[in-house]
Amino acid sequence: MTMDRRSVLGLGGAIAAGVALAPGLRLIAAPETSPGSVAASTPGKRWAMLIDTSRCSSDCSACVSACRTENNVPLFGDPERDIHWIRKVELRDQSQRKAPVSLPVLCNHCEQPPCVHVCPTEASFIRHDGLVLIDKHRCIGCRYCIIACPYKARSLVFYKTKPPKDTNPNVPIRAAGVVEKCTFCAHRLDEGKLPACVEACAKADKGAMLFGDLNDPKSEISQRLLKEKSQTIRPDLGLKPHVHYQGI
Amino acid sequence: MLSEFSAIEGRSAGFWKLLAGLVVLVLMGAGSFVYVEIHGHAVTGMNNQIVWGLPHVFAISLLIMASGALNMGSMSTVFAVKQFEQFGRFSAFLSIALLIGGLTVLMLDLGRPDNMLLPMIHMNFRSMFTWNVFLYTGFMTLCLLYLWTMFEYKQYKKLIGTAAFGWRLVLTTGTGSIFGVIQGREVFGSAITAPTFVAISLTSGTALGILLLVYTFRFTRRELDDRLIFGMRNALIFFLLLVAYLLVVEKFTRLYDPASYDVESWILTGPWAWLYWLGVWGIGVLIPLTLMFNRNIGNSVNGVLMASAYVVIGAFCFVAHTLLAGQSYPFDLFPGYTISSAFLDGDAGRYAPTLNELLLGLGGVGISGLIYVLGIRFFRMLPEKGQVPKGWELPWSP
Amino acid sequence: MISPAFWSGRWSRASVLFLFLFAAWIVAPSSLWAAPPQPEKAVRGPCVRDAEWMRRNHMDFLKHKREETVREGVAVKSESFLACSGCHPSRERFCDRCHAYVAVAPNCFECHQYPK
Repeated sequence: MTMDRRSVLGLGGAIAAGVALAPGLRLIAAPETSPGSVAASTPGKRWAMLIDTSRCSSDCSACVSACRTENNVPLFGDPERDIHWIRKVELRDQSQRKAPVSLPVLCNHCEQPPCVHVCPTEASFIRHDGLVLIDKHRCIGCRYCIIACPYKARSLVFYKTKPPKDTNPNVPIRAAGVVEKCTFCAHRLDEGKLPACVEACAKADKGAMLFGDLNDPKSEISQRLLKEKSQTIRPDLGLKPHVHYQGI
Repeated sequence: MLSEFSAIEGRSAGFWKLLAGLVVLVLMGAGSFVYVEIHGHAVTGMNNQIVWGLPHVFAISLLIMASGALNMGSMSTVFAVKQFEQFGRFSAFLSIALLIGGLTVLMLDLGRPDNMLLPMIHMNFRSMFTWNVFLYTGFMTLCLLYLWTMFEYKQYKKLIGTAAFGWRLVLTTGTGSIFGVIQGREVFGSAITAPTFVAISLTSGTALGILLLVYTFRFTRRELDDRLIFGMRNALIFFLLLVAYLLVVEKFTRLYDPASYDVESWILTGPWAWLYWLGVWGIGVLIPLTLMFNRNIGNSVNGVLMASAYVVIGAFCFVAHTLLAGQSYPFDLFPGYTISSAFLDGDAGRYAPTLNELLLGLGGVGISGLIYVLGIRFFRMLPEKGQVPKGWELPWSP
Repeated sequence: MISPAFWSGRWSRASVLFLFLFAAWIVAPSSLWAAPPQPEKAVRGPCVRDAEWMRRNHMDFLKHKREETVREGVAVKSESFLACSGCHPSRERFCDRCHAYVAVAPNCFECHQYPK
């Protein structure tokens, strides 16, 4: 547990003032902020995604390009070192009996993520709404998380880059030497919007990606996961991934 | 009574040349570190499939040898093998030197070495890396204490020496477990990885000890009884057989399981098969065993030296194979399907090390070498004469 | 070679001190004598905290906000970097000027954008 300045001050103040201190009084007064200006994640949620591969086609990559625009993910033109938060994977049945399948693969935001487990600095962490995120301020670039992740969801930033011209200011651009990956567009979720890929998929008239809260039994994704057949990638590893697939 | 300890003279031209050579290695390592810092890791051969490359191979090899170098000390202190007592100081000091070299490379290859101290502030106690941080620092402390007791407080030698021996076993188990605990990659994730690392540390540490002892004694024109080297040779043979046993058991268990046919046939015949067969088995186990079991070669100091050199290179190959083959094997996201993508899913990782990675790794070797050479120059690490204690005889020879 | 006796004399010691100070004066950057730079005045106000307090504590404030935003998912929009630029349009004249003067190099802007 770390104690920041305010909690130390607060603790000291509380002990000194005891009951005399009115509950809710803050030692450093925060200005009034209008409710609309705070983007907050909601504890108790469990975000998840359901991808219907029968509605996903190999010629469409709307989700991938939307992600690159939203999150300022550059392409270096070096396939082995490019950063991919989400990518389209083509599947061909080895026995040639089933038709080829095309689907997006992204960070699975596992309930038991091995990347968080191995990170020495707690830079990879699980937020209280179930998102697996990277605190890049803390990342030392040891790459152990990339070794541990079975989904190849993570990329190291190999190149030093300058900010591209049209950037989305709401998402920081990148520093070389840290690891990054899909955030389920945490900044959008906190504002009550859907991830960029899901929105783009719907806009491209595919509607293959469904996003929602698994802890809410009435949400569409909960209902469909309950009624319809679905699967996750590598369930044998027991990581409880939260990107579900249908139609493979 | 065995002979007195003394520092080496360090006045010859050869000494200064050696020192200069090591300094050059360190400087080149530092230069390549700065170069990678300026340009980012894109100038290395590493990529998003192979994220740990040659620097890690050097670093982990040095760390393994560091714990292995303590063998001679442990054998005398813990197991009362008398003839190794005179090399106790050498052995503990060599451990420290190798550990510092290896850790330096590991730190300098981080993506953000400027954040190097963050693990000290925010520790994730579930991380294998965090445990290793404690294992390394603890081992270093114990080695220093062990050295101190050997110099000053002989009455505590047994206690500290035993603690250091136990710690080095845990330490190498920790190093091996960095890979052993990873279930996400088919090639890693085996409980036998850590014991194999321990066995490799026993062979490579002993072999490196033999090499350094003989060459240091020759270089400084000190006397070294050949029988001492042959005693170490016997230990080395035993350790090599242990390595061979663990390697065979691991492969046998894997090959018995139909689910790992794909992985294993890829390892035994795929792009890294040469490293496995030639490096791990040939150079690492079979050639040195053949050499040491040979009546002529095995009974000559030079023959043992050659075998030791093979063993050290073999350990390096073992680490390289574990890391590179382990990372290259493509993720099998959808069993039964052939997959392809712009992120190169389904392709085996490719890795061609670059010069700056090699220089960074060699820089670590340079640091270890420098510490070793300066250590024996300024401290009484080595006996003036390597003698066999009275009444001791070499138990076995090929 | 100057004899050791020279160095123990009072005048010689004074001359050494003088030479040292002279060298320091030559070497030191001229900015040392200039008035400290003033960060550009805000084009509008008020700031999210008292200006004097911000001057002293903005780094801890930002660090604290950063933990809250990234790890706890509470982003107060009016207190973000992006909001700073609403009142302080130029990063060069507001942030960098002082940071350069006191020789600190926070790496915030390696990743974060400061809209113009």
